[in-house]
Amino acid sequence: MRLRTCLSLLLAASLAAGGALAQTTLRVFSGGSNQRPDLMRKLFDQYERANAGIKIQIETGGATSELQRQYLSTVLNAKDSAIDIFLIDIVNPAQYFGAGWLEPLDAHLGAADKALAPYLDVYRTSNVVNGKVAAMPGFADAMFMYYRRDLLEKHRIAEPRTWDELGAAAQKILKAEGNPNLQGLSIQGAPIEGAVCTFLLPYWSQGKDFNDASGRLTLDKPAAVRGLQQWLSLVDQGVIKKNVAEVKTPDTVNEFKAGQVVFAINWSWAWDRFKDDADSKVKGQVGVMPLPAMAGGKSATCVGGWQWAVSAFSRHKAEAAKLVGYMAARDASRFLAAEGALLPTYQALYQDPEVIRQVPWFKDAGQVMVFGRSRPMSARYGEVSDAVRTTTSAVLARTKKPEDGVAEIESRLSRVMR
Amino acid sequence: MNPGLERLRDPSEKTLALLLLAPAFLLLALIVVYPIGKLLWNSFFDLRLSGGSEAVQFVGWRNYVDVWKDHDFWNAAGNTLLITAITVPGALLVGLGLAMLANLPFRRRWPVRLALLLPWALPLAFVGLIFAWFFHTEYGVVNDVLRRLGVTPSMWLLSPGLAMTAICAAIVWKTSSFMALILLAGLQMIPRSLYEAAEVDGATRWQQFWQITIPMLMPSIIVALIFRTITALQTFDIPYTMTKGGPGNATETLAMLIHKTTIDYLDVGYGSTLAVCMFLISLVVTALYLRRIGRE
Repeated sequence: MRLRTCLSLLLAASLAAGGALAQTTLRVFSGGSNQRPDLMRKLFDQYERANAGIKIQIETGGATSELQRQYLSTVLNAKDSAIDIFLIDIVNPAQYFGAGWLEPLDAHLGAADKALAPYLDVYRTSNVVNGKVAAMPGFADAMFMYYRRDLLEKHRIAEPRTWDELGAAAQKILKAEGNPNLQGLSIQGAPIEGAVCTFLLPYWSQGKDFNDASGRLTLDKPAAVRGLQQWLSLVDQGVIKKNVAEVKTPDTVNEFKAGQVVFAINWSWAWDRFKDDADSKVKGQVGVMPLPAMAGGKSATCVGGWQWAVSAFSRHKAEAAKLVGYMAARDASRFLAAEGALLPTYQALYQDPEVIRQVPWFKDAGQVMVFGRSRPMSARYGEVSDAVRTTTSAVLARTKKPEDGVAEIESRLSRVMR
Repeated sequence: MNPGLERLRDPSEKTLALLLLAPAFLLLALIVVYPIGKLLWNSFFDLRLSGGSEAVQFVGWRNYVDVWKDHDFWNAAGNTLLITAITVPGALLVGLGLAMLANLPFRRRWPVRLALLLPWALPLAFVGLIFAWFFHTEYGVVNDVLRRLGVTPSMWLLSPGLAMTAICAAIVWKTSSFMALILLAGLQMIPRSLYEAAEVDGATRWQQFWQITIPMLMPSIIVALIFRTITALQTFDIPYTMTKGGPGNATETLAMLIHKTTIDYLDVGYGSTLAVCMFLISLVVTALYLRRIGRE
């Protein structure tokens, strides 16, 4: 008897509480610290003020794309409804949508051709899977070629257009400077996600595709071998350092910052590190240019960037999709560009005078973004990435010949990408 | 009062025993029997989480046939066995030395014991990261020392043989303190009177070591070896943090291959099959040990 009274009291209390708090809490996974959760929080605060009854909680985690992928795979495999929205790397929409983990956004934000029309081409294609809107672009990123403007001017060298020109320019500077700690070019050769781009950059710049529109592997083996040999020959020339297979993304940033690198390939967030960090010795001396191509080819860069997606297991899909629409809108993109120098996903913002005034380097960045290409979209991207980066790193460590490495990539991926 | 409840209140010895054992049994069933059963079950299916709506398919022994033909599996199995074959005896020798050292009559014992305990208390991933720095080509202390000695430094983690050496060194450093702890306990159990008697009989230190210490220590050595071998077969953290299995997959272990297949590739079916194969390998090795103990 007493038990029943207790229970009914408890029930009444919880009903009353539910009535008082007629509120939806959206939980958002917003990546690691490079994805600037502090700025996202500011946008969420604005959104909360404008939308009574919505509360947004941020969850962060995983410093790198691979760690975030591992974490999210675990959460989503468990069909966990605890997270409503994720910020995901550009390589993930195909995999997550293929796995049935993402809510198609067409019903909420409009069909693919309309909803994604104002964005840069590469984001328009990467976020559409099987004709459905899998995610919406949050902010862009790409591999840039940074260089020491002061050193190039001092030695009267023009921006190189091909890798061979770059090799010659770097050798000339290294010789004239005579500094044993100075490297000509820094690229990422450790078996991390960045090494996928290290493989693709010289390959793409020969006008070759890694996959066709349907995602099937179209690897041109001789071109891939030439690409890897290009890196090895730069190592032999003393332009790239010998232990390149150990170099990770932050190593390139730190060494360039310390004034030890002439040319460096890295993501866009590195720009602020060079410009703002207290220990940067290259402030005001950094230039950005399109990536060189293989002789006779055309510049190409590896696009990254982050997308907002709604979980298929969310209990608040409509509310979550609305928030995603807000975070992917032009105003949010402009805010992230001005406050955090996060690259806009809107083509038009690269010419926007207000944005350029606040972040002058976007004028240069815009010229690079048009050469942007996306890494292969595949529902089994984890395997694609692993095969490419592990082999690339092994070739750069000289434990495998380029021919054998490329044959290995082909034999592994012809089963995965078909 | 109903008779059933009465019996619960005053159970016979046998019922009481069953009742008291039930929670432990249930717990074990939940966390040991069920996962192993599920693993075996999954290993017969084509179960890919990356495929989404694709139906789960029963494939019989196909996954096992694939494992048999899988170059990566044999490579990883070979690496795992190599690491086991090097680090288990390595840790035993170093651990025995440390235990003998700690057993010396120091005036203050705790600093020695603490130093002995420290590597064991460190998380494995931590050790991996520390050693990755030690062996880094440019910033590592190993190459720095080599350079000062006038020896050409090597790219330790970028060539298959050297990377394996570096990993084994890290594992031996990390695990020999655990060996030493078990062996130290064993050493302290040996009665002093045995040594006194040997001395009276004129036995040398060397003879005392081989005729008294080692035979008396044998049970501890075997226990330590079993524990160490089983954990060595499961090696994951140190190679994962030091080389990620590189260069290429020259230092990839079985546990890393299983992790990659299930977590990165989301291929749960094949991952389960690999896990079952790893389980079988551990089982065989443990059985060999147990047979040896049975004979002792």
